Amino acid sequence: MSVETVTQTANGSSPEHLTSASYQNNPYPVPDSQREPLVLGNPSIHDVTEKIAGIVEGKTNLKYWLAVLICASIAGLGFGAIGETVTTGIGVWGSNNTIGWAWDITNFVFWIGIGHAGTLISAILYLFRQKWRTAINRSAEAMTIFAVMCAGIFPVIHTGRPWFAYWLTPYPNQMQLWVNFRSPLVWDVFAVSTYLTVSALFWFIGLVPDLATIRNYVKGKTAKSLYTFFSFGWTGSMRAWHHYEIAYMILAGLSTPLVLSVHTIVSMDFATSVLPGWHTTIFPPYFVAGAIFSGFAMVMTLLVIAREILGLKDYITLKHLENMNKIILATGMMVGYAYSMEFFIAWYSGNEYERTVFINRAFGEYWWAYWSMLSCNVLSPQIYWFKKARRNIPLMFVISIFVNIGMWFERFTIISTSLHHDFLPSSWSYYTPTMVEVGIFVGTIGLFLTLFLLFSKYLPVIAISEIKGIMPGSQPVHHHDEEHHH
Amino acid sequence: MSQRQHSTYFRHYGELDNPTNGNGQEFEFDTNKPLLDSGVSRRTFMTVLSASMAMAAASCRRPEHKLVAAITPTEYQIPGLPNYYTTVYQHKNAAFGLLVKAREGRPIKVDGNEKHSASLGSSSAFIQGTLLSLYDPDRIRRSRVNGGDSSTTNAASTIAQAITSATNNGKKTAIIIDEHCSPSFLALAQSITSANSSIQFYTLPAIVSHSALANQAVFGLDAELVPDLSKADYILSVDNDFLGTDKNAVYYTKGFSANRKPSKENPTMNKLVSIESGFSLTGANADARIAIQPNDYSAFLSSVLVEVASLKGKAVPSGISANSNNEHKEIAKQLVAAKSPLIMVGDHLPARIIALGQIINQMLDAVGEGKPLSFNHKYFNSSDKTKDISTLTSDLNAGIIETVIYVEVNPEYYADSNLKKLLAEKVRFAASLSCSSHETSEKLAKVNVPTSHYLESWGDAISFDGTYSIQQPIIAPLNENSLSAQDMLMSIINFVNPATFAGTETYYDFIRKQNPQYSSTNAWETLLKDGVASSTVSSEVGNPLGYSALPTEQMSLKGIIASIKPSYSFYDGSNTNNSWLQELPDPITKNTWGNLVILNKKTADSLSIQLGEIVRVSNEKGSIELPAFIQPGVADNVITLTLGYGKTIGGNVHANVGENVYKLLSANSSLYTSVSIEKVGRSEKLATTQGHHAIERYDKPSPFDNEWQERTKDILGVQEGYVTFASLAAASHENHEHEAGEHSHHIADTLSIVPSYNYVGHRWAMAIDMSACTGCSACVIACQAENNIPSVGKKYVANSREMHWIRIDRYYREDEKGNVTTVFQPMLCQHCENAPCENVCPVAATTHSPEGLNEMTYNRCVGTRYCLNNCPYKVRRFNFLNWHKDKKTPLDLAFNPDVTVRMRGVMEKCTFCVQRLNEVKMHVKDLGRTRVHDGEAVTACQQACPANAIIFGDINDPKSKVAQASKIKRGNETQKYKEENGAFKVLSALNVRPSITYLVKVRNTNDVPKV
Repeated sequence: MSVETVTQTANGSSPEHLTSASYQNNPYPVPDSQREPLVLGNPSIHDVTEKIAGIVEGKTNLKYWLAVLICASIAGLGFGAIGETVTTGIGVWGSNNTIGWAWDITNFVFWIGIGHAGTLISAILYLFRQKWRTAINRSAEAMTIFAVMCAGIFPVIHTGRPWFAYWLTPYPNQMQLWVNFRSPLVWDVFAVSTYLTVSALFWFIGLVPDLATIRNYVKGKTAKSLYTFFSFGWTGSMRAWHHYEIAYMILAGLSTPLVLSVHTIVSMDFATSVLPGWHTTIFPPYFVAGAIFSGFAMVMTLLVIAREILGLKDYITLKHLENMNKIILATGMMVGYAYSMEFFIAWYSGNEYERTVFINRAFGEYWWAYWSMLSCNVLSPQIYWFKKARRNIPLMFVISIFVNIGMWFERFTIISTSLHHDFLPSSWSYYTPTMVEVGIFVGTIGLFLTLFLLFSKYLPVIAISEIKGIMPGSQPVHHHDEEHHH
Repeated sequence: MSQRQHSTYFRHYGELDNPTNGNGQEFEFDTNKPLLDSGVSRRTFMTVLSASMAMAAASCRRPEHKLVAAITPTEYQIPGLPNYYTTVYQHKNAAFGLLVKAREGRPIKVDGNEKHSASLGSSSAFIQGTLLSLYDPDRIRRSRVNGGDSSTTNAASTIAQAITSATNNGKKTAIIIDEHCSPSFLALAQSITSANSSIQFYTLPAIVSHSALANQAVFGLDAELVPDLSKADYILSVDNDFLGTDKNAVYYTKGFSANRKPSKENPTMNKLVSIESGFSLTGANADARIAIQPNDYSAFLSSVLVEVASLKGKAVPSGISANSNNEHKEIAKQLVAAKSPLIMVGDHLPARIIALGQIINQMLDAVGEGKPLSFNHKYFNSSDKTKDISTLTSDLNAGIIETVIYVEVNPEYYADSNLKKLLAEKVRFAASLSCSSHETSEKLAKVNVPTSHYLESWGDAISFDGTYSIQQPIIAPLNENSLSAQDMLMSIINFVNPATFAGTETYYDFIRKQNPQYSSTNAWETLLKDGVASSTVSSEVGNPLGYSALPTEQMSLKGIIASIKPSYSFYDGSNTNNSWLQELPDPITKNTWGNLVILNKKTADSLSIQLGEIVRVSNEKGSIELPAFIQPGVADNVITLTLGYGKTIGGNVHANVGENVYKLLSANSSLYTSVSIEKVGRSEKLATTQGHHAIERYDKPSPFDNEWQERTKDILGVQEGYVTFASLAAASHENHEHEAGEHSHHIADTLSIVPSYNYVGHRWAMAIDMSACTGCSACVIACQAENNIPSVGKKYVANSREMHWIRIDRYYREDEKGNVTTVFQPMLCQHCENAPCENVCPVAATTHSPEGLNEMTYNRCVGTRYCLNNCPYKVRRFNFLNWHKDKKTPLDLAFNPDVTVRMRGVMEKCTFCVQRLNEVKMHVKDLGRTRVHDGEAVTACQQACPANAIIFGDINDPKSKVAQASKIKRGNETQKYKEENGAFKVLSALNVRPSITYLVKVRNTNDVPKV
């Protein structure tokens, strides 16, 4: 098909009609028809709109609201636990004068890590022209934002006096006090808030054309006015697409270093300390790899469910999932390399504290956390060397859960086992979480799922305009070989 | 309805007829209402105190109890500035001269009086803790007669009636008192008994010393002697915890530690050999320690005695024979070879065993003027008390005692079951005078009278060397109804026989009359100001060498032997309703809030008992259930139990903490008993402040072994954890050119890319001598009192949330034979020059001062706890909860107003007592100086330390003690580390540059018997 035929097949509604103009600037290279198609079932452009906008317009069933209710209740439980923490004090947790950080910062790093895949898929894969990203980028970005929101809770509530947490931001004040720029916690504030802002912007910019599609699609008055407002008067004109593409590209460019910087800086929370087990130069790349690893695992967990429930199997295909599994395998090997390198350096350094910390990780009181981490993160993805395994839906779901668990344990191992046995044996201690801490963590999972459920209903889970752009025949094609042309 | 006119508002007529509100509660505007019930508002409190201070003359207070409004400024008292008063505390018959700091009229800190012979300016945790007991909210508030509230006068007359009726019935009245060293109280008792023949005083101590009995047999001296350890260079201790639980431990620690600070310049050191069954603080400080069963003490000392006699050519008293053993011979040889040896036998052991020790002392010429053991140095009023106890028992049995007055004693808690039964059944009327209600006052007494705390009442005491001190009140009784026990006795006797104290109204007047030499105002004021005066002590002895009639009792114990010890915190169980002392870690086990069954690994394995398992210990007297604690160094088949716990009445703090071990004791007042042990199938998480990791890593081969040696070097200064005196003495003859201090500075400078900060003014620093430190933990409570440090309770100590700013780290090394070497290391904020906590604080709440202090700004702290995580010494303390929230009034009055009370969510830690530094600096400025002289700035821990192990000052002043101490060299060059041993910094490799220098531990292990 040619560009003209695309225009002709459009149903006349403006998005489809006008988006055709964008194909002139479409950054994607020529589709290789040798490759597995990215959209199955050969839907028409209109079918895509019907399918995805239809989710928004379609009636919700009881099951959906039941799911929302359960997730929101869990989130409410978490907020109750947060209330208990804020009103009574950090003493309701299990941390102590030896182990100052435990579940709180573990959860923070865990959620921040999960929030990595979205931007990576959106920005870096976009810049690398990885077309298969289009099916998953929207939900991955949404997941990023929700995960960063969950993460953001922890640095605030982990402070002893959360009502003063805003002191961590540099703002002019009558006390003439400034933050301590030497502290990595201040860098954290900048890194995380920048990341959240840019991710949200990037996500929103990408949403605008699709919101306009939905604006045109929905019939309810309130819904229409809301989508109208948030689509910012998108007309789909050539000029609009032109600006959009530039803005999208700029934001992709801005986000790319952020993908690396956020977790680099989070890792500096530990790396700049003097504590053996924390004070390690390998941390920045190790943390970034781990973050991508965990982020992809979480995207996998969510997509396996979403494609099933929302009937998006034609759009989120096995190819997408297989590609993601490849990334999980690669990043899993990276963290595995980091784990072994940490041990090697601990031995090679000749530093008795380094050595003790790492021996203690594997054989000390927290051995179970270490071995859970190792088996979940390094061993379980090894099965992805086999193509069959990479395309096995139940298996990849289980592995993705494993990786999520393993990555949580990785952070717990780094934070708590390094603290519980540090320099002076006299102050060595042990940490056990309390129900309040468990409640907060479970609550953030509830919050995350609630937000994701709402997103999957009220926003286009798949980037409509982008998926159209990669559909067979939607691209301007250089005909190297007539036989490949349909 | 009556037509009465009323000038004040009222709620109902009942209120006017009856000064209660009808619910049995006090009418809230009752002017007779005691101060405590009113919650002591600040204003009322200030009024009372200002009034009392207004009446004070030359640091004393007259005993009137009238209120005067503080409209007229009081003399001597400037708001914001402390006043210091001398007083004396009687710890049984040991007197401690004290200097009490009062702010705005309330005592806030108790410290030793430098001029007093027993305290010598230092104090113990126990003495520091007495301050909190003053403000105990659970003290008795009013007198009760037959369970109902009563006035003090009414209570006194009720008691007097009982005394009179006993006299009329031809029966006796027994006044049961505790041991004391007050000459006026003794005279008061004599006045009472001489005027009223039916009244008799009995002394009934909880823990009975048998020293007087032994001294009577050996020297013909019915008194407990107090040796001067500074004169001894070889001390053999047989189950004598003179550095720990002994009532005079402060004095002993002073004398002992004076000779524990060798350096290359001063290579002298005493030696301590400890023979014991449990693991005591004294054992932990010993150069050699031999764990034997209590059964073997007698044989051991007999053998040493025979050997010493043969070496010295003296005759062996009849009935003593040796069982040949090389170990005994070796010790005997060393004792004879020593310049000034001394044997100290535990005064709770049977008199015969103590007597054996005293005979050896005599053979070794350790007794006499200028010798370690002098007849001049004996506790006042320390004659044998076992007679009193047996007389009381027989008098009760005979039914001649009808009325009993318990004066600050609690026999229902500590007496043996037989005596308790007699007191409950044979006595018709009992009254109790006590500060807090207790088992006796609740269960036995019909009349209860609150007595005032020692900081609220007049008294006097004589120290072991004859030093006379006045116990002057620092504050008016917080409870208006309370009188001192002596005042109360006088008012009771005034009802019985007014002629007894005719012309003497109060105990204060009585004391004045007892001391005619201080009758002039001038002399009296000088006495109060100094806090000490000399008095003569007779040094007469009956039979200097007539030790023929030795007491005969022997210990014959079988199976598992329980060795029962006084508590480090409470001694016999006094001041238990005290959260500071409950939370003070036991210096050895580091356990808080409760007592334990302490046994060694071998015994535990044989009984298959795990750490923390609850076990039932029982004998024919009773049984107790306590968690087991596995402790290295305890003799096989021996368990150690601690007295002083298991109170049920009299306070919320001590209620149901631990078990009352007195239940196992029998009437023979021996602290050793055979017991059986069984598991009850439960376990408990122990609230220890230091885990068990340390020992595991030392004694078991583990993957950590190589790391451990290096770690020990980093923490304790040398790879072995200590240097030997022999190597030090040898090294002192060599010449070393470079100074340790220069060396470390050199490293520090090359490691930094920026130049060091130039401290131009003061630079505060500390030196801690681990060789002198005995681990007694006085500093811990002194710091707690000075810095308003909260107690957190058992649950939170178990989760490592204790708030102590200074802790005593205790490290063991156990060899394959089970011999344990212990090193104590006081650990507090190191005030690092290159502090890792400072750069990680996001809000700059912890910063460095130009005087080298690592300062904490509580207001700014958000509580991220990163500083805590990044502190290599883990000395930062986080307020996980609002620890002060449930503090009942008047406990808040114990706060030091110079120190912020921290809220929840902020970090805190040692400040080097910055409030004291600022006070000194302001004072110095007033004097027109710009610099604080060495010794003017004193931290609370330093002030309390009886071992003088803590040295604080300005290290910028090269002549200061701390600068000098930081250069001390000790010991040889080890094979692995070529630098000088001696002064070192903990974890120096981190280059955080601490301001605290530690001096390496020295042990005098040369010629120590091999066991």
